[in-house]
Amino acid sequence: MAAVMWIEVLSRHGEVAARERIETDVARIGRAFDNDVVVDDPHVAPHHLRISRGEDGELVAEDLGTMNGLYAEHGAHRLPRLPLAKEPGIRIGRTILRVHDALHAVAPEKLLTPPRAHARWALGLGVALAASLVGLEWLNTTQEPTANAILLPVLGLVTVLALWTGVWALISRIFMGQARFSLQVRIALTACIALVIWDQLSEVLSFSFAWRAISEYAGLGAWALLAATCWAHLRGIGPKHMRMAMGLVVALICAGAALQLLGKSETQKLIGQRATLGDLRPPEFRLAPLASADDFFKKAALAKVKVDQARAKEPGSGGLFGDDSVD
Amino acid sequence: MLRLGLLIAALISSTSFASAQPAAPPGPLSTAAERVYELAKPRILQIRSLLQSTGRQSSLGSGFLVTPEGFAITNYHVVSQYALDPKTYRLEFLAPDGSKGGLALLAFDVAHDLAVVKVDRKDLPFFEFDPRALHDNLPKGERIYAMGNPLDLGFTIVEGTYNGLVDKSYDERIHFSGAINPGMSGGPVAGGDGRIVGVNVAKRLDGENVGFLVPAKFAAELIARARSGPPLVVDKAREEVGRQLNGWQASFYNTLRDQGFRSSSFGPYRGLESAAPWMTCWGSTNADAIPKPRTSVNSTRCSSATGIFVSDRILTGRVDLSYSYFKSVDLNAFQFSKELSQRSWGFDALGNKRLTEQECRDDFVAGGTGSRPPLRATWCMRAYREFEGLYNVTLLALTQDRDREALLAQLSMQGVSYANAEALGRKFLEAIQWQQ
Repeated sequence: MAAVMWIEVLSRHGEVAARERIETDVARIGRAFDNDVVVDDPHVAPHHLRISRGEDGELVAEDLGTMNGLYAEHGAHRLPRLPLAKEPGIRIGRTILRVHDALHAVAPEKLLTPPRAHARWALGLGVALAASLVGLEWLNTTQEPTANAILLPVLGLVTVLALWTGVWALISRIFMGQARFSLQVRIALTACIALVIWDQLSEVLSFSFAWRAISEYAGLGAWALLAATCWAHLRGIGPKHMRMAMGLVVALICAGAALQLLGKSETQKLIGQRATLGDLRPPEFRLAPLASADDFFKKAALAKVKVDQARAKEPGSGGLFGDDSVD
Repeated sequence: MLRLGLLIAALISSTSFASAQPAAPPGPLSTAAERVYELAKPRILQIRSLLQSTGRQSSLGSGFLVTPEGFAITNYHVVSQYALDPKTYRLEFLAPDGSKGGLALLAFDVAHDLAVVKVDRKDLPFFEFDPRALHDNLPKGERIYAMGNPLDLGFTIVEGTYNGLVDKSYDERIHFSGAINPGMSGGPVAGGDGRIVGVNVAKRLDGENVGFLVPAKFAAELIARARSGPPLVVDKAREEVGRQLNGWQASFYNTLRDQGFRSSSFGPYRGLESAAPWMTCWGSTNADAIPKPRTSVNSTRCSSATGIFVSDRILTGRVDLSYSYFKSVDLNAFQFSKELSQRSWGFDALGNKRLTEQECRDDFVAGGTGSRPPLRATWCMRAYREFEGLYNVTLLALTQDRDREALLAQLSMQGVSYANAEALGRKFLEAIQWQQ
């Protein structure tokens, strides 16, 4: 039977500041120097805590009759006794301790990303992104193509990417002590490629199915993608306070998406839909079956129902075109 | 916007208009104009729209008396503010002798831009209509006199020439070669004997001395209607405007259909074109553009050039039919479709809150039998808030059978009923064909 236990004193930032190997069955903790573990915290009693093994061999913490008492690490209630088998964390005064049995199971070894793997990925993704952007730019050129027109958007994106990854690397450096720049670049490039694919896909589908709502609401997908990107960056930085950070990011992104939707619906109220065929693709991209003229005019009749309903409502005031502009 | 319209009275002779007797040859010009004006003076009016609240004038026009019981003719657009919003505006007349009084609106004809008002006096002298004008029987070149108060500068008489009815116009309008200016709207135009030939209504801004008159016959018809028809309830005038606009579009689209359509070629495609003489067409090309374009574009646009003034905020009644044939010079299929995306914008007047927001529906439409290509089509419409059953409709169609050439067709209709819009829309889509 292993009698060894480990007591860890955590720093204010939550890292292990000191770790004591205790080979006896009982350990004493407090501010006094005759303890097994000495804690420098004015809110801790000279003899604060006793750790011992219960009858079943499990570790138990006991309050030795102190002013400030004993709490579970995340607990709000003062306890006279605290079994440590499941939750090894203890709070005394302002100090967090963790007590582990030598048999305490630890997480399995994590696979290390091979050295320079992120950098190699980032390079590959970067080349793919640049190539697809140049390619798309070329497909969108209707005038005589100039290097300027094609490369400028790529350059713009590179600048934005550099700033974006720089900020994440800085955050990572502050909270993790490591910038992990190539990981941030890899995440950002993956997100860009996903965004390009989403953008193209929504435009193509909007054309293929003659469904303008797809392109009108494609922005929501982009916001979701932004949320996923932030999540990936945060995970790269470390899982600590992940939930809170993610909650914040999701809230911000929801607010952004909501604002965009609201703005869109207000613009719609002012001007309605535009008389345009939308973003066209070659005819081979059509996926929707051909409608008969009767079907098409049935759809048109639905538009009539809508505008007839709109007649009854007051028009929105103010906005893009002044209050009551003339045709 | 301040509208200025001053009524000028034409010369009237209160004696009979025995037209069997040819009009006496006019004397020296100045004498004739002097005589016409002298006759007109007690019969012309300035017609003002005043704000109820402050009594300030918000628009000025002209009018002239045509019956012994005090009926006067003016333009609808001179009294439109009052007709559409009688709680905010009221009407008043001012005679050349300085007397003033209230006016009652008895009838109007939005399509011909005429209105009948009644002055609150009796036994006034009045103009008579020239019977030749009622039968469009005036010789081109006859000297006629337009009267009114241009730009509120005082009553004026303008000599001009009768030049028959305007060619290529759906509305019957007399072409008057003489200076008509804002403020003269609704004023009379008389021949040398002082009998009414027409009513001042408009001028072209891109020409010199090109004026338009409403033929006297429409004024005579409206007077007859005002006398015999049910009296106009001013608070319901807006509904009457709606009824007239509905009636106008019904007869316009009937006429358009009766005039027939032909199939015109646009590159290797064919499309609908109206055979009506008043649909005027203009073509354009980018063949001579520099640098040499990467897509050749040849466009045709036909327009009815009909415009009905309803209010300062609403001009309606127009039909446009346009076709652009695109052919890629050296663009690939993707680049060509991009070029088409940039060009496929309908002419939509956004932001006018007298119309509802626009609603659009898109689809791919089968060409059906024969040589009809499949189409990518978009139907967009807006409703007139104030007039039930009237819409502005834009229909766009793009051929989908070739990836490096296409015909982009657009039909736009203002102030049209849904049934007429759909009927013409179907004809328009069916007519897009591949050249046999």
